[in-house]
Amino acid sequence: MSSEEATRLYQAFVDQDPASAIQVIERVRSSGVPQVQLFDTLYVPALSLLGGAWASGAIDEITFTQASVVAEQIGSFVMPPVAKADTGVTLVLGTMHRDRHSVMKDIVASALKEVGYRVNDLGIDVRPADFLERLEETGARVVLVFAETMATARAVIRVREMFAASGRDDAVILVAGGPFAADASLARAVGANGIITGAESALRVLARVRTDILGGEAS
Amino acid sequence: MSVARSSQVLAAEQLAREGKLPAAVEACYEALAIADRDPLAHVLLGHLMLAGDFYDEAIAASTQAIELDPDCAPAYLALGLAYDRRGGMWDQSVLVWHELAEVSPNLVTAHVQLGEAFAAAAFEEESVDSWKRALELDPKEARANYNLAIAALKREGMSTALPTFRVAGELDPSQDELFFALLGLPANDISIDPATVGPLREGRLFAAGMLARQEDYFGAADLLRLLLDENSEDVDALAIAAYAYLKQEATTEAMACALRALTYSVDMPTALYTLGVVYSRFPGLSKHAARVFIALARVAPQHSLTHVLLAESLLGLQRFSQAKRAYRAAVRLDPACVRARFGLAAVHLTEGSYAEAQWEMRRAAYYDTKRHGLFWRLFDEYVAGGDA
Repeated sequence: MSSEEATRLYQAFVDQDPASAIQVIERVRSSGVPQVQLFDTLYVPALSLLGGAWASGAIDEITFTQASVVAEQIGSFVMPPVAKADTGVTLVLGTMHRDRHSVMKDIVASALKEVGYRVNDLGIDVRPADFLERLEETGARVVLVFAETMATARAVIRVREMFAASGRDDAVILVAGGPFAADASLARAVGANGIITGAESALRVLARVRTDILGGEAS
Repeated sequence: MSVARSSQVLAAEQLAREGKLPAAVEACYEALAIADRDPLAHVLLGHLMLAGDFYDEAIAASTQAIELDPDCAPAYLALGLAYDRRGGMWDQSVLVWHELAEVSPNLVTAHVQLGEAFAAAAFEEESVDSWKRALELDPKEARANYNLAIAALKREGMSTALPTFRVAGELDPSQDELFFALLGLPANDISIDPATVGPLREGRLFAAGMLARQEDYFGAADLLRLLLDENSEDVDALAIAAYAYLKQEATTEAMACALRALTYSVDMPTALYTLGVVYSRFPGLSKHAARVFIALARVAPQHSLTHVLLAESLLGLQRFSQAKRAYRAAVRLDPACVRARFGLAAVHLTEGSYAEAQWEMRRAAYYDTKRHGLFWRLFDEYVAGGDA
């Protein structure tokens, strides 16, 4: 891709010709420039030319505005994709039975969705049987159980026992919440495979689970 | 009808306004020794005790002032702040802020504080209603917006909260002040008549900046055109033009001018600022925004808001630890930066550190009410017998 294409895109803006602008973009894309690079390699230099033309008086204020409208219209063709690629990994998460704390769960669920995990959020006050049922339904292999009180944190062992009784020993159980953050041995005691201490920690731990346990496969 | 002040109260007030706290406290006690049923002496004492972090004493004095005059708005303010800062008294706090909102229905801060007290007591819906009421009274009320962002974070996560943070930030006048500080304009406003601006570049640039700050974008544009006609590569003129377009919601024109300026001067702070703000409006450009704000924080590290802007762009990338470091840098530079405090609170929430989050929001409330000089405003209105 040369600066000639950026010049052509700039000219299409000034000519108020969105069709030509799109043609330029498609041509550059088909030459092998990935979507994530179109903005930097094509759009940014074209806009810089537009700014320069306005500054030098080569185009007047009205042309600048009209050209900017065209640039805005075709902006979506060059924007890097917002959503991350689907990881193919399905997760089941929820807050333990008799526990109604939702803040951490909601923040973690949102963070995981944003990076492409398929999140099944069971909400708060979730019984162990409901975790198992959704695990079976979705074919997920990873469960995140949130608990913010000592009693509900200890009760997570019932989830592990239920999974074991149903032959789902392969399921990865990750736990989150104050009691687990304060005492890591509690997580081991309830049969959890790991602890999540926040949204960033969830992203890190899940990335490791994907590579180490799921072998990079979708599940 | 105005409230009469004794000479002792006047002396205490004078000392308090001058920040001479021990002498002011002494004068208050002298006033109370002469007239122990003077609400003004009690309310001043409450304010002074609060300033000295003697919360129980502040609560006692403010309560006494309210008992003597249930319409004493500054006493409600001191009492509510004392409850909040003491902690663990959310039920009383809700009552006090509710009373202040009744006594002074147009007082925006009362609704903001009431919302925060509701939120601390886990009345989420009531808290959101209070902040919305505050925004009805003042759509630019930054703290109400930041609180709504935190509420969105708790319910729906960062992707929903971040746009609210950014909108709040752009409404917050401190963000515009950053641009003009980067431009090197003095803090005080100077009236500019575009017709009398001389032909020298520096004078025109200064005047264009001042006019942009006064939101006279047409006046600024005329001067910028003169500058660009003389030198189309004038990076300062291009950067001001980019800002003026941004403020008129012409983001593409703003981007074009900022990018042009950066082709001539790659680390120009004003152009970096505008470009970063434009980029941060597009979810797909989070990485771009972060790159630009990293550069801005590097070239203008002395401004706390450059670190806040960087932190917010890092939140968009879910790099919460890095965002926390940037927010902390901002708070170190300016402990009163409400936006940084709320941002830190958001990061703490992503880590499950609820107490730390609450603490940051309480500090934000402390600095915000102090910055606005709210106590003295209410005090003066009370003395004058007017409504807040």
